[in-house]
Amino acid sequence: MELLQEIAVKVEEGKHLDVVSLVEKCIEAGIGAGDILNKGLVEGMNSIGIKFRNNEVFVPEVLVAARAMKAGLEVVKPVLLKEKVQSKGTIVIGTVMGDLHDIGKNIVCYMLQGAGYDVVDIGIDVSKEKFIEEARSRGAQIIGLSSLLTTTMTYMKDVMDAVRNSDIAENVRVIVGGAPVTREFADQIGAHGYAADAASAVDVVKVLLQA
Amino acid sequence: MNGKERIMNALNIREPDRVPLYIHGINEAPIIGIGREITDGLPEPKEFHEMNDQEKVKLLDTLFLLHEHFDVDGFTSFEIGHEVEVDAGHVADDWGVVYTRSHHGLPVATGHPIGGPGDLAGFTPPRPNRGHLILLDLGRDRFKGEKALFWLMRGTFVRSWRLMGMENLMVQMFDNPEFVHRVARMVTDYNLEQLDMLVDAGLDVLVVEDDIADKFSPLISPKQYSEFINPYNKELVDKAHRMGLKAVAHSDGNLWPLLDIMLETGYDGLNPLEPQAGMELKKLKAHCGDRLCLLGNIDCVDLLPHGTVGEVDNAVRQAIGDAADGGGYILCDSNSLHPGVDPLNCIAMFEAVKKYGARNA
Repeated sequence: MELLQEIAVKVEEGKHLDVVSLVEKCIEAGIGAGDILNKGLVEGMNSIGIKFRNNEVFVPEVLVAARAMKAGLEVVKPVLLKEKVQSKGTIVIGTVMGDLHDIGKNIVCYMLQGAGYDVVDIGIDVSKEKFIEEARSRGAQIIGLSSLLTTTMTYMKDVMDAVRNSDIAENVRVIVGGAPVTREFADQIGAHGYAADAASAVDVVKVLLQA
Repeated sequence: MNGKERIMNALNIREPDRVPLYIHGINEAPIIGIGREITDGLPEPKEFHEMNDQEKVKLLDTLFLLHEHFDVDGFTSFEIGHEVEVDAGHVADDWGVVYTRSHHGLPVATGHPIGGPGDLAGFTPPRPNRGHLILLDLGRDRFKGEKALFWLMRGTFVRSWRLMGMENLMVQMFDNPEFVHRVARMVTDYNLEQLDMLVDAGLDVLVVEDDIADKFSPLISPKQYSEFINPYNKELVDKAHRMGLKAVAHSDGNLWPLLDIMLETGYDGLNPLEPQAGMELKKLKAHCGDRLCLLGNIDCVDLLPHGTVGEVDNAVRQAIGDAADGGGYILCDSNSLHPGVDPLNCIAMFEAVKKYGARNA
């Protein structure tokens, strides 16, 4: 148990090399891959997420924590597959067409990965067709739409309408976020979820997947 | 008072004869949209690089004309001619940063030439080019001292992340702080050299344009800001002051956690004061209105694109009521007049300043 707590602390501190060796130690000690993921890596990201939400840490601290988490995840991933640990869910996420900004979307990706979800980042300037195609082929339960500009966030409605009229409509929920996006706008376009910030995106996804 | 006197009074926290009006940034579409109310012969809205020479000249003339027609008190200029086209969708600047063109505003930096110390070792930075100051020259010659001349100089954070990539810059703050300092030194040396040229060209106000916050908080911590960014930007502010200029800080987002550091740095003004990011005029005025001129706050996210003329009029009246007493307020929008703003709302903003901005000075 101490090793798992240590992983969480090192993830939070952004010490990726320490995380890798601790995860290796855990595997050697026979600790289950699900525990390494949830009580170690996810716990560390959860802690940094809370501090980020409270403005106690900033983007650079999140980035190095995410790097540490991902380094640990790479080591534990083969064991997760071997032990058939079930994914919590798959999220396809991208910045909508016309918009080339990515840092906000990237932070949401790190937070979701850090919470144990499978995240497929399909980049920037993404068309409605690509959102649907990727969600379909990955079997995603959630599509995440990001936008930094008032002029590009209107494309979120196009994506929503396209999803609603597609064959994946019944299986997928859409969440929206980004600097100019508001709850009112999200409701207006019929999005299933609205995330005001990166940390709350995790809460929104959790609720949608439980519904 | 003329426009320049109004702006300088406000930056000195003295009350001008009316609240000054300023446009920090404006895209082609609003220049054309607003311009159609005062001139004819303008092309359909399109980007500058898509225009022929005749259309470019007309656009530039309309930019000047709208400053004159609506009594905008300051004129903003910035580098022109430092970029070359890579292909139809991309341009590269003289540092080797590649930008992807966007129909929704300025091109976005997507190609970064300096990934790590190895790249920096073989990197030769450009030298400032006097020819790139042509917009400042044109503005100076057109307005002949009637309007304050502003220059948008990219600050240390923006120049550094464009060279290195933003996430890389942030991670390098932990992995290799000395490398981050070396890049900051390089871009500051460029900026300091360019400042000499700007002073010779007749500049009045240096805007250190260094977006470093989102609507919730700064992107980096106050400690990181104090270590990696602010000392270099302070060199620009100090030199500007030594050379008789005013210095304004520009950053989007919630700057409250950095505000006291910025005050100590000696900026004369702060722009653009996004209402959605908690940069409330009344609160700012109470906190530092006696030391820092406030520029901005008229909402360009919701109000100018989607509001009514009446709502814009009210917002201007409210802003002037909140921040103009005793001087130290320059009215402008909360970031830029981007392609999404309604030209009639922009005109309503310009006109409301005259309606509510008269002072007793």
